[in-house]
Amino acid sequence: MRIEDIDVGHELGPLALTLSGEQVRQYSIAARMPGGRFMSDEDARKEGLPGQIVPGNLSMALFSRLISESLPGAVLKRLNATFRGLVRPGYALLIHGVVTEKHSSDHGDFVECDLVLENTEGDRWVTGTATVQLP
Amino acid sequence: MALELDRSIIGSEFDRTIFDPVTDAEVAEYAAASTEPQPDQTIASPTFVVRLRGRRFMPSNLPPDLGRAAFDAGKDIEWGAPIRVGDVLTAVSTVHDIYEKTGRSGSMRFLVLRTVITNQRSEQVAVIDQRMMFR
Amino acid sequence: MILDLHTHSEASEDSRAPVETYLKWLARKREALPIDGIVLTEHRQWNSHADYRALEDAYGLVILRGAEVETDYGHVLVYGVNEDITRRFDFTNVRLSAQELIPAVAHMGGIAVPCHPGRPTIGLCEHYETKPPIDGVVAVEALNGGSRRGENERVHALIERYGYHAFGGSDSHLVSFIGICATEFDHEIRTIDDLVQTLFQGGYRPLDFRDQLRKVS
Repeated sequence: MRIEDIDVGHELGPLALTLSGEQVRQYSIAARMPGGRFMSDEDARKEGLPGQIVPGNLSMALFSRLISESLPGAVLKRLNATFRGLVRPGYALLIHGVVTEKHSSDHGDFVECDLVLENTEGDRWVTGTATVQLP
Repeated sequence: MALELDRSIIGSEFDRTIFDPVTDAEVAEYAAASTEPQPDQTIASPTFVVRLRGRRFMPSNLPPDLGRAAFDAGKDIEWGAPIRVGDVLTAVSTVHDIYEKTGRSGSMRFLVLRTVITNQRSEQVAVIDQRMMFR
Repeated sequence: MILDLHTHSEASEDSRAPVETYLKWLARKREALPIDGIVLTEHRQWNSHADYRALEDAYGLVILRGAEVETDYGHVLVYGVNEDITRRFDFTNVRLSAQELIPAVAHMGGIAVPCHPGRPTIGLCEHYETKPPIDGVVAVEALNGGSRRGENERVHALIERYGYHAFGGSDSHLVSFIGICATEFDHEIRTIDDLVQTLFQGGYRPLDFRDQLRKVS
């Protein structure tokens, strides 16, 4: 996808999915962050949490996946995310975004995107932005 | 009166870790667990960088009044050279900022930790600003 | 005239939205978001040197500035910030006394109004359950674009009980959330003094554009 194919307002996604507890556990191991809160409900409750939670890093990986799938060939240059609430496995998630700016220079063609991870009732658990270089 | 946070730790380096060469198994395991596409088999997916946690994740000389429980509040990642299988990566971590604010969870202190990752060719691979929330 | 009274640019540590990109977005979305201007209300700070007149002229939108500060009754938006106010109140202090701040700001030529009052811990509603009401509150942010389900709804009872004026703001930290909630004024607002005066007097109401935006996209 090239910069002339994209307008400001171009929507990314949505990506709809529900993470299982096992997926979260496997991710935490692969990401070298096997903390109790990410491994099981029981371990998370020992830390005073309501149950197993999804690492913020996995939410960022999902943002990255959204961008890859929505803008084929694009290279992620910068990704920012703010974790506004606990994301839990077993709950339906909607991940989507929108292109808010595009610019070209000697360094290449870039778009800026807003990104949101929310539940089905519109509560935004993770928000972020990305700078993406287009081919 | 504003809570006096000890800002003298800002700028201090608290970890420098050289990792074993990146393996194709690690790269594949992370991509599968994160569902994030890999550019190709020999290049790690973008958020693979979050795996590069040094030997020390937090400085040892944290201000005592920061709070007990720590949560990942967000990240800002800027990418440079891609990570390739066989790369030997070095991560240097410093305290970048410390501040306080209030939110739904009450009074929160934030510690921003900056990790700069370079490869064996001294190319910058990523800069990660991690915001840790204490309460 | 419609203004978004509560916005954050990249000057706030948790926003990544450049001011100009906000304006470009509003220019593109004019049909769905008929916003005439924005008020930048950065967290816990005041930059007396910031000047957006060139951007105002370029985009034909009003850009005013205030601040969002943190008190023992929750967060408060301050409009009409001046040297007297910043000399008296340290905006980086997350424990300002609202009972002191709100009347004092009014006395010094500005206005301080509680924002997202329905939000847990940092909203007025919860504090009013256990503490006396604050003297000098004339308006509250009845519609906040960043609030979760039920939080805006909680504010109706507060407004009815105390007779507060109601306004709206997006609380945007991302470009695409600018203007989703805003305030409609009966009269023109061109300067921060106009805004301060009008917030005291009335003649405005909150507007919600979120449903409209969902239909368009």
